[in-house]
Amino acid sequence: MSSILATTLGRDFGKAPSVNRAVGEISLEIPRGELFGLIGPDGAGKTTLLRMMAGLLPPTRGSVRVEGIDPFGKEADHARDVIGLVPQEHSLYGDLSVGENLDFFADLYGLTGDDLRTRRDRLLSITRLGPFQARRASQLSGGMYKKLAVACALLHQPEVLLLDEPTNGVDPPSRRELWELLYEFVEGGMTVVVTTPYMDEATRCHRVALMDRGEFIALAPPQQLIDSLDAAVLEVALASVPEAREKATAVVEASPLVVASSPLGASLRVVVERGNEPAVAAELAGLGTLVPAAASFEDLFLTAIARRERDAKSSTARKEAA
Amino acid sequence: MTAPTETSAPTSSPRAARKHARSGALRRIVAIARKEALHVQRDPRSLYLALGMPIVLLLLFGYGVSFDMDHLPVVLVDEDRTPESREIADRVFASGDLHMVGRASSGDEAHGIFARREAHAVLILPRGTSESIGRGEAVEAQLLIDGVEANSAAQLQGKAESALRSASLAMSVEAMGPRAVAIPTEVRLSTWFNPEERSQLYLVPGLAAYILAIVAVLLTALTVSREWERSSIQQLFVTPVRTYEIMLGKLVPYFLLGVVAEMTVFVVGAWVFDVPMRGDPLALASASLLFLLGMLGQGMLISIVARNQMVATQVATMTSMLPSMLLSGFVFPIENMPLPLQVISNVVPARYFIHALRGVLLRGNGFPEIGFDLLMLTAFACLMLFAGTKRFKRELA
Repeated sequence: MSSILATTLGRDFGKAPSVNRAVGEISLEIPRGELFGLIGPDGAGKTTLLRMMAGLLPPTRGSVRVEGIDPFGKEADHARDVIGLVPQEHSLYGDLSVGENLDFFADLYGLTGDDLRTRRDRLLSITRLGPFQARRASQLSGGMYKKLAVACALLHQPEVLLLDEPTNGVDPPSRRELWELLYEFVEGGMTVVVTTPYMDEATRCHRVALMDRGEFIALAPPQQLIDSLDAAVLEVALASVPEAREKATAVVEASPLVVASSPLGASLRVVVERGNEPAVAAELAGLGTLVPAAASFEDLFLTAIARRERDAKSSTARKEAA
Repeated sequence: MTAPTETSAPTSSPRAARKHARSGALRRIVAIARKEALHVQRDPRSLYLALGMPIVLLLLFGYGVSFDMDHLPVVLVDEDRTPESREIADRVFASGDLHMVGRASSGDEAHGIFARREAHAVLILPRGTSESIGRGEAVEAQLLIDGVEANSAAQLQGKAESALRSASLAMSVEAMGPRAVAIPTEVRLSTWFNPEERSQLYLVPGLAAYILAIVAVLLTALTVSREWERSSIQQLFVTPVRTYEIMLGKLVPYFLLGVVAEMTVFVVGAWVFDVPMRGDPLALASASLLFLLGMLGQGMLISIVARNQMVATQVATMTSMLPSMLLSGFVFPIENMPLPLQVISNVVPARYFIHALRGVLLRGNGFPEIGFDLLMLTAFACLMLFAGTKRFKRELA
C-alpha cells in the first residue's frame, strides 16, 4: 500500500482574472518507508504541495490520500493522527519553554501515560534537547529549534512526516544531525517527505522530484537522474591571461550553445548539448580549454530549469510568429 | 532498557501498537487555555491593559470629565451704580456658580474681554435697575456670552437667569412685601435617584461599559491574529484540535481577566465616586458577564478575520471605543440623536449594558426591569461567537 497517493493534485490562488497556478496537476505515489525529496527553486510550489498533503490547504483539483485517508474528508481527524508536519516558518511558541511546547502538543494529541513519558524522553534524548527543557523556544539556535519542531511533530508517532525546508538557516553540523535523524526514522518504517533548496541534500533522498512552476519536471532516484543527463558537463581550464575568468563568464553567458553554467571555485562549470563542445571550445579560444567533468545534481537541476525556460520562450515565440 | 521496542524505534511503532489514550475536547480546551495563560504571564502587557487601564480611565474620566460647571468667570458692568444694583450683583455671585473676575465700564468692552479669554460672559445691569426692583418689576439685565465653549455657554445662560430672577425677586419682596409682587408660577423641583445631580453617578455606569468594551475587545483581538502572524496556526491545524475548541480555550483566561477588570471598575466607582448599589447584585452580575462575553466574542471575531495584529488592534479600537462612547447613551442621550444614529444604536451592546447598569445601580432595578437588556446582550454574545466559529476554518489561505 502506498503511503502517499496524489492524483492530478493542484491548487490555484487568487480570483478569476489573475489566477496563480501554484501547483498544476501532480500525480505521485510514495511507498511506505521512503525518504522522498522535493527540490525546486523558490516559488516552485513545494510548500503548497506539502500543505495539501498535510491537510492544511484544500486542493483546487485532484485528490490526495495519506495512508489511504483523505485529509479533507470525513476522516480528517484520523489523517491528523497519521501525519506529522514541520513547517518552514518558526511556528512553535517562542515564549514557551521546550518542555511546555512538547506538553502542549501532547495535550492536543490527547497523549497520556507512561507511553507518552518514554516517548517524550526518547525524543528529547535523540534530539539532544534534554538539558534545555526549561529554555524558551525563542532562545534556541536554528538547529535546536528545528529539532524541537521535529520532536513536537513526532510525539503522536505519525506514519508520515512532512518537513518543509527543515535545514534552512541551520548550521552544517546541525544539518547533518537532522539528516541522520531522518535516516533513523525511515529505517523504522516511517515515510518522510522533505523539501529543500540545497542540491547536496537532494542526493540523500531515495527518490527526488524536481519541481518548477507547479509541475514535476523529473522524478527518479537522484543518481539515476544525474546519469540520465544527456548533455556534456565540462570545466573551463582558464588560460593565464588577465581577467580570463570574467571574460570567459561573459562568453559563456552570451553563448546560445551553453545550456547552463555555474561558478566553480576560481573557474567555471558549463553544460553543453552533446556535439556542441567544439563550437563552445572555439568561442573560448584564448581564454581557456574545456575539460570533461562528472555531472552533479546541480548541473542536472540547472539544465532542466534552463531547458524549460528555453522551450517556454520558443513556444511563445512560435505563437507570436503565428 | 526493559522495553526494547521503545529504545529501537519509538517514533515509528505500528499503529496497532499505539497505546495512547484519547480523551476528548475538554483536555484540548484546557491545554489551549493554559497555553494562553502562559502567554499572558510571560508578556504581562495584557495584564496591565486589563487591570491598569480601568483604574486610569475611571479616575481620568471621573475626576476630569465632569459635566457640572461652577466658578464660571463673569465680568460685571454696573451702569446703575446704586446700592440696589450692588446688592443684586452680590446675590447673583454669592452662589458660587458664577464667579466675578472683574468689572468693566460698558458692554462695549466685551469683545476685548472675550478675545483675551478673561471671562466667559459679561453681565450688564442697566440704568433703572433700582427702580425696577422698587416697583417689583422684572429687571432687564443683559448677559453677553462667549459662544465658542458651547457647553459652558448653555450652562451659563441657565445659571445666570435663575440667579438673577431669584435675586431680584427676593429683593422686591424685601422692599415691598410679598403681596405686592407678582410671583410667576413656581415649580418645586425634586430630582430622584440623584438628588445632588452629580454627573459622576450618571457617568460611572457609562464608563464601566466603555472601559470593559475596550479592554475585552483589545485583549482577544490579538489572540488568534497572533497565531496567524507567527504561523503557529499551522502547527495547531495539523493537530486534532477544532476551531471552536481553540476559541473556547482562548476565551477562558481573558474572561477571567475581564471579570477582574469589571470588578475593579465597580469597586473604584463605589469607593471613590460613591456610586450606590440599589438594585439586585445578581442582575448586575448577569448583565456584566453577558456584556463581557459579547465583547470578548467581538474581539475574537476581529482576530479571526484580521489575521494581522496591527489591523486587528485598529479595528478593535474603532469598533469598541467609538460606538460604546458615542452611540450608547454614555455621553449623548440616544433620544436626541438623529434617526439613523438612533437606529444604529440598537445594535450597540453597550447601550443595553449602560441602560441595565443605570437601572440596577441607581434606580434599584432587578431582573424584571432589565430583562430586555439581558436578552439583547445574550443575543449579541451568541451572534459574535457563532460568527467566529463560522469564519474560523481549519485551513490555511
